[in-house]
Amino acid sequence: MLNYALRRFLISIPIILIATFIIFWMISLTGDPLQDMRQLPNITTEQIQRVRDMRGLDDPFYVQYVVWLQQIPTAGFGEYLISPRPIGPDLQRVLIHTLQLVIAAEVIAFIIAVVLGTLSATRQYSIFDYTTTTLSFIGYAMPAFWFALILQVIVIQIFELTGVRILPLANLSSANPGTGLAFVWDRILHLVLPVMSLAIFSIASYSRYMRASMLEVVGSDYVRTARAKGLREGTITRRHAMRNALIPTVTVAALSFGTLLSGSIVVETVFGLDGMGRYLFVMIQSRDPYPIMAVLVITAVVIIMFNLIADLVYGYLDPRIRHG
Amino acid sequence: MTEPLLSIEGLVTQFDTPDGTVRAVDGVSYDVYPGETVGVVGESGSGKSVTVMSVLGLIPQPPGRIAEGRVLLEGNDLLTFSNAQLRKVRGKDIAMIFQDPMTSLNPVLTVGSQIAEAIETHAPDLEDDAIRKRVVDLLALVDVPNPDDRFDQYPHEYSGGMRQRAMIAMAIANEPKILIADEPTTALDVTIQAQVLEVLKRAQDETNAGTILITHDLGVIAEMADRVVVMYGGRVVETGTVEEIFHSPRHPYTLGLLSSLPRPDTDLERLEPIPGQPPSLITLPSGCAFHPRCRLGNNRERCQFETPELIELGAGRRTACHFHDEMDEQVRLIEQATGAQIEIETEADDT
Repeated sequence: MLNYALRRFLISIPIILIATFIIFWMISLTGDPLQDMRQLPNITTEQIQRVRDMRGLDDPFYVQYVVWLQQIPTAGFGEYLISPRPIGPDLQRVLIHTLQLVIAAEVIAFIIAVVLGTLSATRQYSIFDYTTTTLSFIGYAMPAFWFALILQVIVIQIFELTGVRILPLANLSSANPGTGLAFVWDRILHLVLPVMSLAIFSIASYSRYMRASMLEVVGSDYVRTARAKGLREGTITRRHAMRNALIPTVTVAALSFGTLLSGSIVVETVFGLDGMGRYLFVMIQSRDPYPIMAVLVITAVVIIMFNLIADLVYGYLDPRIRHG
Repeated sequence: MTEPLLSIEGLVTQFDTPDGTVRAVDGVSYDVYPGETVGVVGESGSGKSVTVMSVLGLIPQPPGRIAEGRVLLEGNDLLTFSNAQLRKVRGKDIAMIFQDPMTSLNPVLTVGSQIAEAIETHAPDLEDDAIRKRVVDLLALVDVPNPDDRFDQYPHEYSGGMRQRAMIAMAIANEPKILIADEPTTALDVTIQAQVLEVLKRAQDETNAGTILITHDLGVIAEMADRVVVMYGGRVVETGTVEEIFHSPRHPYTLGLLSSLPRPDTDLERLEPIPGQPPSLITLPSGCAFHPRCRLGNNRERCQFETPELIELGAGRRTACHFHDEMDEQVRLIEQATGAQIEIETEADDT
């Protein structure tokens, strides 16, 4: 298992390097980063040239790439294009916020989806199965921003009817969040609606996968063997069926993590959360390539990490992979 | 003999299909006595497996349904059992070995734990160490080398023959009264088949279980069975001891099976196959289901329109053929055609 994990880990290093190159290359194709600066009425050619020299914009492409790549570990993604502030602290802050949101959504979606998928597969063609099928198609088809707005409207309606603020509608923390456990609780309350908006699509999609692979597994010969041994249905489902059915579902869930990250852009914007998605959105508007590239690299690393996690869980669940 | 251990009486199992209701098992009856091996022979779709699956309640319901009949295990009708009661019978009183050892073991659990599970579920108070020791002993009994190491291995680390032997170990783990082996050697190489049969025989001796051996391989029957039940189109068409079936078949289908069997021990010149295809259960022929393929019946009207009853010819000797008294003649004809001797024992009580 250790060998397998190490092998998977080593493979991800060149993948990250390739990702950084593609990111740098594609961003460099978007044109002159100083375009907006040139349009300022009082700007002089000398001022523009000074920024160009400072950022090495006249160097050959590969030199620029290597210089940029080197300062990722040494200078934490360097500074913003125009102002001399470092990108690192901002990035760290928004990354932590986004990971809180996205990981909570992923974990909750996965657990709910596994339970729903298992129950609808073991009760195939029951009312429960038809209900979850219908709901998951609705969840699948519903745009996240619209669902987020509906959730906000519901909370507002409840406030207007009863005078109780059950959940905060925006931001990551209250004005006075407190410290310690009070702070954590405040953060959890603030994340409820965003996590719901973000998770609904994943619940719908993962539960479909779980149902399909459960149906395949419950018809398999080894489940029949388990039944012929006199095991209880619950034991058969948990010990024999679910473990096998989880293998494809885990893969799908981990590979869909990128979808959740991109979904967080919309959700963070609707709820005004100080996360990486909204940060990226703002930076795209200000046409600063450095924070954009930083966000993309971080996103790539996170996605590759989740693929690695998927591989490890996969190896844990399936001994044939572990030994192969 | 004494009372039968297991008695299947008039079992009817139906399946609802888009093309209508299919009677996969249509009034099947046979008994199993302690310590004996009953071979159940027939082509694919003859209802051999569905019969035993119905016994253990392993038919998927729906679309399957057990419409009629009784299955008596030491006098108790299993078909009236609740799920909880049936669970206590499965793997304990009646254990099953399945056809394909490649897919019948769970790929993500160790072989040892899967056998241990069979013991644990029927003896929840047993210590883990005791269970492990028992499993290792069982693996040794079925000739799995290094059983202690093999306990912790996964099915993919076992060879096909070894997996089937592990399945046998699992089946005999609780010393069942009835052992059902559903085509235990079909998916294996010929050399491995012999080993697995050897192990199966030993397992049976060890537990003195009554065994139902389902196969379409008459060689396996000849080697293992005491009595034979021949099935065709969801019905029993002939029963008898293995000598009776092999030496003086009383149903043309049985004779067809025998004459299509390569026999290196005789001066067989050519095989005499059964013409045509096994019938589809959806469009089962009228009258005797075998009549379109039967040389003996030769399209006689009675065969086409009257379903033959299973007639008692002697103790445990039954046939479902209108013209079974012409079988001696038929055997002679086949012998001429194949150039091989099918030994015929003259039995005074044959009518």
